[in-house]
Amino acid sequence: MQKFFSNKKLIILMILIIVTFGLLAVTVNIRDNKKTPPVVQQVGNDVVSVVGGVFAYPTNAVKNATSEFSDLYNTYSENKRLKARIGELAQNKAKLSVVQDENKKLKQELKLDGTLTDYTTVNASVLTRSPSSWQSYLTINRGQTSGIKKDMPVMSGKGLIGRIIEVDKVSAKVELISTDNELNDKFASEILGDSKNITGVVSRYDSSTGDLVMENVNSTKNIKKGQSVITSGLGGLTPRGLYIGKVYGIKKDNYGMTNSVYITPAAELRNFTVVTVIKSSVSGGN
Amino acid sequence: MNIKNRKIIGQVLFIFLAFYLDGLIKWAFLNNMNRGTVVILPQLMLMMIVMLTMRIDNRRQLILYGVIFGVIYDSYYYGIIGLYTVLLPLLMIGIDHFKFLLVKNNLGYELSIYFLSLTFLQSGIYLLERMLQQTNTSIFDFITYTLGPTLLWNIVVFFILYIPMNNLSEWLVKYRRDNK
Repeated sequence: MQKFFSNKKLIILMILIIVTFGLLAVTVNIRDNKKTPPVVQQVGNDVVSVVGGVFAYPTNAVKNATSEFSDLYNTYSENKRLKARIGELAQNKAKLSVVQDENKKLKQELKLDGTLTDYTTVNASVLTRSPSSWQSYLTINRGQTSGIKKDMPVMSGKGLIGRIIEVDKVSAKVELISTDNELNDKFASEILGDSKNITGVVSRYDSSTGDLVMENVNSTKNIKKGQSVITSGLGGLTPRGLYIGKVYGIKKDNYGMTNSVYITPAAELRNFTVVTVIKSSVSGGN
Repeated sequence: MNIKNRKIIGQVLFIFLAFYLDGLIKWAFLNNMNRGTVVILPQLMLMMIVMLTMRIDNRRQLILYGVIFGVIYDSYYYGIIGLYTVLLPLLMIGIDHFKFLLVKNNLGYELSIYFLSLTFLQSGIYLLERMLQQTNTSIFDFITYTLGPTLLWNIVVFFILYIPMNNLSEWLVKYRRDNK
């Protein structure tokens, strides 16, 4: 009898180990390869996120209030700086609308339906952030029903913050650009130079300095500190012209062979409660 | 509805509350995304579950709680099922197995059990994720920047919340003690 019981425990342990690795492997594969998770998981996540909304709205209100307080703290210096730029802004805005109009007309002439710079947006508010060190995900309250698809880029007010990694019916998960993950967080991007734009791939996040790292840069000759970096629209569902950040510096890699451009991200990855999902009009991903 | 079912609903509700608080605290207060390498993970649900496990005597109920909340936690926060789903029930069975050694629940015992469970859970998650190549953090970085700060933060919170949590979990499980 004793022997029988110890056997049973062994069998349970064995099954447990098999089930664990099976589950993990299957779900990781689904996440990496399929467009959406299984329906059961979608519905489960949706129910949890809808209920979670009840707790998320007061939290976001508190978060907004605290960030307003910290804004108030440096209002004076900011106001001075902003006043200097406001005239410039009005002029740029007028110019932009004229150019946009012209662009639209020219596109019609050429019978172009959509180019890499065309996109529509969906606003979503953040429900929660994963308490996990390696899956830095945000959960947002929009999903398939709002037309969100996997791999769409996500912006906060100032710049790119990440990419959709899982879509459920009425919620989705955003993987932040600061994730330390080899597989997913790559954005085809370009540096806006004086004469010629320089392309590369934003592929890494340096957590010790808080900088994004752009690799596979074709030449580093004309790169200067402070130049703007945008997405180049060459990779799948990301349109052209989303602002990523500013060039901070160039470093050689450990082997001294390739150059990495360090970019200070524009998005303040802390004080926001609303994000914007970008839907590219040209669906290169499909 | 009899008292037993009502208590169970109460337990589930409070575990859920702690579950949501984990994410919201991370989002609202510990949201270091731009700078800093230190990662603090609030683990209030684990806190609640450890407190309840110390007081519930029905092992089947414990396993059920562990699996259900493990699946929800994995699916909602991690997107990978199999981390909490397996580690949480294992942990609860472990606590249930050894709790006869403790004469009476007090702060010292429960703090050390919480400390051990947190270490077990985080290390387990690290090992599994490392094995599945979800991360390439080295073990030293993990201990210094994730495990250490997480333990510190959670132990301090446990210390602060111990008295209300103790009363709450006693109240949530109490009828069993009376019937015995």
